[in-house]
Amino acid sequence: MFPSLYGKSILIEHIETLKVIVCLFCVEKYMSREKKEKKAEISATSYLLERIRELQLQVENLKSELENIERVPSVKIGIAFLIPGVAALIFSVVKESQILAFIGLGLTFWGALFLFVRPVRYVKSKLLHSASLSSYLTIDRIIKDLKFKGKSYYIPPYPEDVYLPEHLKGLKEMVVFISANKHPDMPSIEEIAKSRFLLKNPNGICIPPPGLGLLIQFERTLGRDLSKVDLETVLEVLPQLVTEGIPLAKQLEIEKEDGIIHLRILNSIYKKMYNLEGPKSVHILGCPIVSAIACAIAKSTGKVVTIKEDKISPDEQLIEVWYSLVAGD
Amino acid sequence: MKFPLSMSDISLWLAVMAIILLITSELLSATTEYSGKIMIEKRRLRLAALALGIGFMITVIMRVFQQF
Repeated sequence: MFPSLYGKSILIEHIETLKVIVCLFCVEKYMSREKKEKKAEISATSYLLERIRELQLQVENLKSELENIERVPSVKIGIAFLIPGVAALIFSVVKESQILAFIGLGLTFWGALFLFVRPVRYVKSKLLHSASLSSYLTIDRIIKDLKFKGKSYYIPPYPEDVYLPEHLKGLKEMVVFISANKHPDMPSIEEIAKSRFLLKNPNGICIPPPGLGLLIQFERTLGRDLSKVDLETVLEVLPQLVTEGIPLAKQLEIEKEDGIIHLRILNSIYKKMYNLEGPKSVHILGCPIVSAIACAIAKSTGKVVTIKEDKISPDEQLIEVWYSLVAGD
Repeated sequence: MKFPLSMSDISLWLAVMAIILLITSELLSATTEYSGKIMIEKRRLRLAALALGIGFMITVIMRVFQQF
């Protein structure tokens, strides 16, 4: 039996409606998949942010632990000298004995000196290297996840004593901007002042530099804010600070040639970071020493500093870094 | 009961101690590999040595003025 002409047109109409429904179903499925992907992306970013916060907390805890260890005084020898010294002095006054007075004076003095010049506790350099590794691996993940292919730009902060309104307080923080592409514009003052992690225009991320802690230590040792010291003095003082003040490397040389600053570090405690199995972000941000020096240059010149190139010798003893100053404040 | 050391005794003691500490701090602050391994607060040691040296100078000045 053949269907009538009327019935045929109804059938065609039904088929068309079915086609539309199938199409709509497909679109909805596609949309829901896209939504799911977006959700996953957001959750990955929030997970990474959470991880950064956790790591920062861990670093703070480790710092306070280290401070506590440093505070434990080696008082035993000092007290062992001090008590008989004071006793001898008292007896010397009672007996009016010159010999006892000399003995007492000597013992008291050396006891006090042992308390005053107590040994400083040091940690193994391997521990420092492994403690900073996790932060670099996290940054590696972020860069990989966000598909960034740019460079790092160390943005100088405003000096501490300069007055800034509440909404611009973020400008007093030293930050490093990792751009999404190789030739980006610099983020605006408003963007930096908001202390945001993800920046949209220009595309990139803003994070505290890995060498910020070292920079603070440099400033404490020097007793000066580096934003008030000229570049020549900073370049003169830094090698001594890194090799003697806080012994982080065997030798350090810095030269300035036509706006390019060339750094050579021999036998750095962070040299293992630069090997092939090490984090990739170390070539973008530099190891903590390289990062701290970039921060110091940025603070001193008031200009944005970028790591142009880095090189490590095959025996991993010598690290060479070329910084360039980006024009404008 | 009185303190058995005179000004000249204390002055001599301060001078000897200051010399010992100044020589020690100078030897330690030299950047040799051996001195780098001695982990004490070298700045404080130098400060103590300088304080003793200044103490000795004060006793000398006091003795000079005692004559007038």
